[in-house]
Amino acid sequence: MPLTEMPRPLKRTITGITLFALPAVLFFLTLFLGRYPITPEEVIRILLSPLFPGLAVKIPDIAQQLVLRIRLPRALGALLIGASFGGTGTAFQAIFKNPLVDSNILGVTSGAGFGAALALLLLQDMWWVQLFAFLFGLLAVALAFFGSRLYRSAPLLVLTLMGVLIGSLFGSLTALLKYLADPLDTLPAITFWLLGSLTTITWSSLTALTLITLLGLTFLFLIRWRLNVLSLGDEEAQALGVNPARMKLWIVLASTLMTAAAVSVSGVIGWVGLVIPHAGRLLVGPDHKRLLPAAVALGASFLLLIDNIARVLLPGEIPLGVLTGLVGVPILILLLRRGRMGW
Amino acid sequence: MVIMSLEARHLKFGYTLGKTVLHDISLACSSGEVIYVLGRNGSGKTTLLSCLAGILRPENGKILVNGENLHQLSHAERARRISLIPQIHTPTFSYTVEEMVMMGRAPHLGWLGSPSRKDRTIVEDVMAQVGIYELRGRPYTEISGGEQQLTLIAMGLAQQCPILLMDEPTAHLDLSNQHRVLEIVQQLSDQGLSFIISSHSPNNALAYADRVLMLTGGWVTASGKPEDTLTSTLLSSVYGVQTEVLYENQGERETPIAVITQRPITLLPESLKDPDSLLSDLFNQSKDSPQLILLTGLSGVGKTTWCSQLVALARERGLTVNGLLSPSVFKEGRKVGINIADLQSGETRQLASLRKGDSGKIGTPRWSFDPEVTAWANRVLEEPAPSDLLVIDEVGPLELLQDEGLTAGLRRLDAGEYKVACVVIRISLLPNALQRWPHATVVKATLPKS
Repeated sequence: MPLTEMPRPLKRTITGITLFALPAVLFFLTLFLGRYPITPEEVIRILLSPLFPGLAVKIPDIAQQLVLRIRLPRALGALLIGASFGGTGTAFQAIFKNPLVDSNILGVTSGAGFGAALALLLLQDMWWVQLFAFLFGLLAVALAFFGSRLYRSAPLLVLTLMGVLIGSLFGSLTALLKYLADPLDTLPAITFWLLGSLTTITWSSLTALTLITLLGLTFLFLIRWRLNVLSLGDEEAQALGVNPARMKLWIVLASTLMTAAAVSVSGVIGWVGLVIPHAGRLLVGPDHKRLLPAAVALGASFLLLIDNIARVLLPGEIPLGVLTGLVGVPILILLLRRGRMGW
Repeated sequence: MVIMSLEARHLKFGYTLGKTVLHDISLACSSGEVIYVLGRNGSGKTTLLSCLAGILRPENGKILVNGENLHQLSHAERARRISLIPQIHTPTFSYTVEEMVMMGRAPHLGWLGSPSRKDRTIVEDVMAQVGIYELRGRPYTEISGGEQQLTLIAMGLAQQCPILLMDEPTAHLDLSNQHRVLEIVQQLSDQGLSFIISSHSPNNALAYADRVLMLTGGWVTASGKPEDTLTSTLLSSVYGVQTEVLYENQGERETPIAVITQRPITLLPESLKDPDSLLSDLFNQSKDSPQLILLTGLSGVGKTTWCSQLVALARERGLTVNGLLSPSVFKEGRKVGINIADLQSGETRQLASLRKGDSGKIGTPRWSFDPEVTAWANRVLEEPAPSDLLVIDEVGPLELLQDEGLTAGLRRLDAGEYKVACVVIRISLLPNALQRWPHATVVKATLPKS
């Protein structure tokens, strides 16, 4: 074996460990960072207090409430949603053979945005907002998917086109709702939702998100090597014994459920699913066997980082949709300078 | 390896209704057989392979693998029996060569499977077999077209199917890699694997096919053994170019050996004296650009004698000559060795002798070459002495296909460092030589009967 290749497995191991330590560190950071100062030691005591009630006796009640009821679910939410965007973005780029798409290409976010706006306008209850966002997200993808069946040849291109069409349709409908909304009350709520935020996350809103995201990620993790084969194209995949139509249907279904679940909790957070896979490719290469876990870890880390900045930087919260681009673009440019990338 | 046969009955296929691309095609390929599908661009070769691989579904007709209906097998079952090696395509993502070849293992892994150590061993073996092991860490998108093609072939081999369909496997390969791929095909077919290969090379079909299927506009216009199918008339009409099939005596029978798109000229060396002859013309034109004669003919026809006569006549005319002649050494009427003579100094050395235990009677005698003499001959060819006539006797398979032997001669020919060159070449290598030097004139050696 040539000398230059010797350190490759070692390098891979180090990259792997770093990638998985990163979200854990950021997760912990989220728990004690914030406008109300809590030390790391206190955080650990509070986290262990449900098991050993004696540990948190001296810590003020407000700190305990803050960590357990606000910061912990919020950190978990950021972790799950970031992981979900990283994973689904990678899967979509593979099955669409296109590095410029993410799971929103079929209109799930636009549909969810419309659903949320509708609920905010009519019902003004967060539970309904989430449910509407989730259902309309699924509806948008279903429309795009079945719409593309109307035209038989070049299915991938037609599906993409249908996604864009349905997305803009729901975009227009959302604009209409904003036009109709009360500019002093409902309109700001809709606008704020559309910019994305994790402020509203509570333990109850996490249940469905956790379940769907973990199931979806497990599925994507198990089929990740097949994404390589699918990314070669339908005919090549068929020649290699993979049924591309069936596999893609499952992947689209899983990714859409995951994205709809995430967006219904967080509002619109763009950019992550599109760009995180590229950062992953720069670090571990295009093989989905390594890329998918890397993109999941990077997505989770990135959203945790963004959410921490959103909470800490200014007295008021900055919407996440604003920060993802502001922080993400410089990071990606740095990576591009460092890495030698061929898509 | 499981023995398997592939049979297609009355296939009909069209991409859009009413536009039929394949008409009533039947073929059967049994274990160990190599079938070449020939035809012009757009004649349906690739479509036929896609149908046979089960990727396109024919409108009519049946495809049977070992008697089982192909379309009743699952995708993975099908891809464990038949592998389709496509023409070069560019993936969106820059997988390494090794990652690409690994994808050939997909039909052997379950839905949720990832490659194991065993798969990695198989992949390393096929990469070594095809000669791309050194490239394994390079991105597939950054290697040359020929290397990409070898990668796809390795990917198809990693599938370990008893039936392989190859779509123009040698289209982007240089001569030595073409040779390597075709040798691999031959080895594997000897082990019982079946091949259906689409190709634009009637020559490869002549050399490697057991059977040929000629497609014209989606119809089978000829099918059968290559020596019966590939005639000048058929090839000229299918390809629409004047095509010549050259034959060689093998035992009792005349066997077609090479297909070229020019009619070889029959010339006597004496014609050099005639001011209007082609040879005189070549010497006149050599003032503008170098002229190359590929001298060919059946073995034993006297190619070397033809050359030495040409040399003598050229010297009579006051032309300077250098290069090499390789007269045979005869003993008791049998060819027992090959000498090599430097035309400039007149020095002669023995280049090759019969291998021990080879009677030299049956088939091609096997020679053992003297490496020192080969090196000397190369030095002779490297000497930059300018001359009117360069003779290289002869350029053989070693030189053309493996880049060994008299390589200095090849370099001079490639660089055009000659005025008129006369290169002796056997018929079977003519297509390769014409691919390398397309401007050459093919001359068939004939000598006046004495």
